[in-house]
Amino acid sequence: MGDYVVFHAPAWPGAYSIYFFVIGLSAALFFLSTLSWFRAEFGVLRKSAFYLSFVLLAVGGLVLIGDLSQPLRFLNTVNPAYWNMSSPLVWGSILLVLFGLASVLYFLALRSGNEKSARSWGVLGSIVALGLPIYTGFDLSIHQHRPVWNTPLMPVLFVALSLLSGAAVASFLAKGEVALLGVLRKLMLWSAGATAVMLLSLVVTTAYGGSAEELTHLFMTTGTLGLVFIGVGLLAGTAVPIVLLLAPMGRQQTGLWLAAALLLVGGIALRYSIVVGPQIVQTFYS
Amino acid sequence: MSELRTSSIETRGVPGKKRYAMVIDLRRCIGCDACMVACKAEFDVPLGVFRTWVPYKVVGTYPNVKKQFLPRLCNHCDDPPCVRACPVEATFKVEDGGFVLQRYERCIGCKACMASCPYNARFMLPKHRTYTDITSVVDKCTFCHHRVTQGLVPACVQTCIGRSRVFGDINDPKSEVSYLVSHMPTQVLRPEQGTKPHVFYIGADRNNTEYGRDIYRRPETMEEDRASFNRNRT
Repeated sequence: MGDYVVFHAPAWPGAYSIYFFVIGLSAALFFLSTLSWFRAEFGVLRKSAFYLSFVLLAVGGLVLIGDLSQPLRFLNTVNPAYWNMSSPLVWGSILLVLFGLASVLYFLALRSGNEKSARSWGVLGSIVALGLPIYTGFDLSIHQHRPVWNTPLMPVLFVALSLLSGAAVASFLAKGEVALLGVLRKLMLWSAGATAVMLLSLVVTTAYGGSAEELTHLFMTTGTLGLVFIGVGLLAGTAVPIVLLLAPMGRQQTGLWLAAALLLVGGIALRYSIVVGPQIVQTFYS
Repeated sequence: MSELRTSSIETRGVPGKKRYAMVIDLRRCIGCDACMVACKAEFDVPLGVFRTWVPYKVVGTYPNVKKQFLPRLCNHCDDPPCVRACPVEATFKVEDGGFVLQRYERCIGCKACMASCPYNARFMLPKHRTYTDITSVVDKCTFCHHRVTQGLVPACVQTCIGRSRVFGDINDPKSEVSYLVSHMPTQVLRPEQGTKPHVFYIGADRNNTEYGRDIYRRPETMEEDRASFNRNRT
């Protein structure tokens, strides 16, 4: 009798991590642009951060739609008659539409120079923007059988990663403003520290989990994915930038930029390994 | 089982409602794969994807070894995670009967249902098919809803030469599945996930149905097969 072995493939490809990165960055940049109305040192970011946020929102939307196997049916997700409110993807669609609307209104207020209106739309948009990394975290955490994903850390981790990436990009837009770079350094330091603590907690708890968790720990910490997750994500992309930012070099623009670049590369690597890693073990469930 | 009912979507033990289930007696499965073929024929299931499949493990110590088959399909869970995860209600549960079905015309192909299924029961249909124009949407076993509503049993049950697969209404105390589940020791896959699967196994060993350490150190030949399988997937 000839035997036929059936294999399974991961449901979500690495492209999702690009979307998570782009949309988290877009949300954080919008927030930093809004901060300019309340903190003088953020003034230089008001327009540049917002415009980049808007472009990234468009790019993120296209990546998300492009990954659907029926791209034109993305309209189904904005059709209230079809909404399944128990799915975080629906909340994500609503938040994306609201964020797009808030961005357009914020842009119009910026163009007309209406400070009061711009402040209001900025604050409202920032609240919606906060929902974007939170929903992406829930997107993963609702899958109850997936190690790493199904933890309460996911939404918080994605918020920290979003702030971290946003502050890193903002440091390149800061035009060398010393006061702003100082605040961004602190923001990067705190969010990178929070990310490191959460990742350490994930790595340790998976190592002591059930068989799926332990195997996921092995897949994520060894081999090619180990290089991406531990090597690029945790060490080069989180630990080294923290050390750099704490060192005297990190208080200067060059050191800060180096740390920011490493944090951005690390942010992509971490999202990639968090999306792909926990799916590997499931492909072996025959 | 009613004391375990936690969500309103569950229909097992609800008076006046049907709740179809399948019992698979592993002692009777000979691994002929006829169920896979019948299913392929019934639904024109494309190459490389399966609504039902029959994996096996070689168990025992040489020379006393045997192949332990474990026919697989959608578990038509009473509390299905795929239904919760689908953003557009393309996946839904039929209240009377408990079938978990798919609306092809509504599916956006986000694969959230595939990610949420603990049993790998869902797959993406390829872009091109010869006889059927349902493409690029997620598909799965339907418990042969179209046959069952006509009073027939699913195609895999009809064709099973060892009569390993038994199908019926578990809410009907006179049905064969009801008798088997109440009189025989049965197991379900991954009960800890709380999905309340409605495919019951007689003779399934948890050691053979869960992840083994061997998946971390896989035989090289198996990896070659796996690479080839994924390469040919359309």
